[in-house]
Amino acid sequence: MNADPTGAALLMDGRRDDDPTLALAHDALVDGLAAGGWAVDDWTLRDDKIAWCAGCFKCWTQTPGVCAHHDGGGKVAERWVPSDLIVLLTPVTFGGYSSELKKALDHVIPILQPFMQKRHGETRHPQRYERRRDLLVVGTVPSGQARGPEAATFRRLVERNTRNMQPPRWAVGVLETGASDWEVRAAVGSLLAEVGASPARDAVNAVRSEVVA
Amino acid sequence: MKAPQRALLLVGSPKPSESSSESLGVYLLEELEKRGVATQTLHVTKAVRNEESVEELRAAATSADLIVLSFPLYVDSLPAPTVRALEVLTERPVGPAAFVAICQSGFPEVDHNEVAIEICRNFAHDAGVEWAGGLILAAGGMIGGQPLRKLQGRMRSAIKSLDLTAEALAAGSPVPEEAVRLMAKPPIPKFGYRFMANWGWRSQFKKRGQGSSLKDQPYA
Repeated sequence: MNADPTGAALLMDGRRDDDPTLALAHDALVDGLAAGGWAVDDWTLRDDKIAWCAGCFKCWTQTPGVCAHHDGGGKVAERWVPSDLIVLLTPVTFGGYSSELKKALDHVIPILQPFMQKRHGETRHPQRYERRRDLLVVGTVPSGQARGPEAATFRRLVERNTRNMQPPRWAVGVLETGASDWEVRAAVGSLLAEVGASPARDAVNAVRSEVVA
Repeated sequence: MKAPQRALLLVGSPKPSESSSESLGVYLLEELEKRGVATQTLHVTKAVRNEESVEELRAAATSADLIVLSFPLYVDSLPAPTVRALEVLTERPVGPAAFVAICQSGFPEVDHNEVAIEICRNFAHDAGVEWAGGLILAAGGMIGGQPLRKLQGRMRSAIKSLDLTAEALAAGSPVPEEAVRLMAKPPIPKFGYRFMANWGWRSQFKKRGQGSSLKDQPYA
């Protein structure tokens, strides 16, 4: 848990192009985290060659906890595990993550053990590490669709992820493209406060706008 | 939707072989073929490899009037190359076609897969294709990448579901509710599935494992 807003944050940037709203959100996240005293590992995924996860499960049965392939996928667990906060940034893609973000997320399964256990009525894989990471997810949708079906699916997806990743604190925000710099910064500040990553929780809540539904 | 003449199967599994998603999709396509539908199969990992293959994917999707996507659940949604294939198919219009999704996962409950099916339905809307329904198979490990016809006893509910689906789709109707129900029926009791799966992981580690334990923490 991050009682003090300092620690290591891994920002996984799943932008596929130079969408201006996502660029604003990225900068707001980096600035907000830096202001909160976080060491930010800012990872632009499209710049990195990461092979598709082949679904071989060797990271469970042959080299437990480590991707067995030397194709870039192993970097994900290596950078994920020592982090205190995971930040995901993506265009909402049919209600899910972009292929750029997903190519990295598919490689997080080594952070789990293969065993199946019943937990809260559903089967889960136990966490490999005791350490937990807070989770903040920011997505963008076209203007006017922050309350639309894809945004709703996106929130359900993130909630599903939290059941498996078990973050102590988590938040999800959906921004509309075309939002102003001020609106994006206010929304991002509010989200950072929700996961305890910003010291200015009360202040940002006061300027909460309609941008984040 | 209208009765299809050409069906395209997109295999959404990144596995190069022994894919359970492929087993399900292939069975459905074979049943469609029996009913006079011409079929084609593409694997998404190959289809999104380069510009040339992407063009082939677009052409195949454009010439089909039924697209079937069969994929495994990866981290609560679709595998990355499958997402990429769907992104490609929304960059230019591909319709008119009907779209069916089959999602299987290693969990013994179907609930894990529901968001993934929702994502597929949203894709259909964005791509301008007609959503014809989704099927969810839990405990997909029971297939183990084998052809479904070899598993008549073990997978009889899934087979019956796909038979009903093929019959409906070939007649121009969406996936029937009964097919959804049958596919969602667990092939074995959940506790038995978990027991077998856990035994299987330990067994595989004993044969090929390189660490000290399945619980190793290499980055601690």
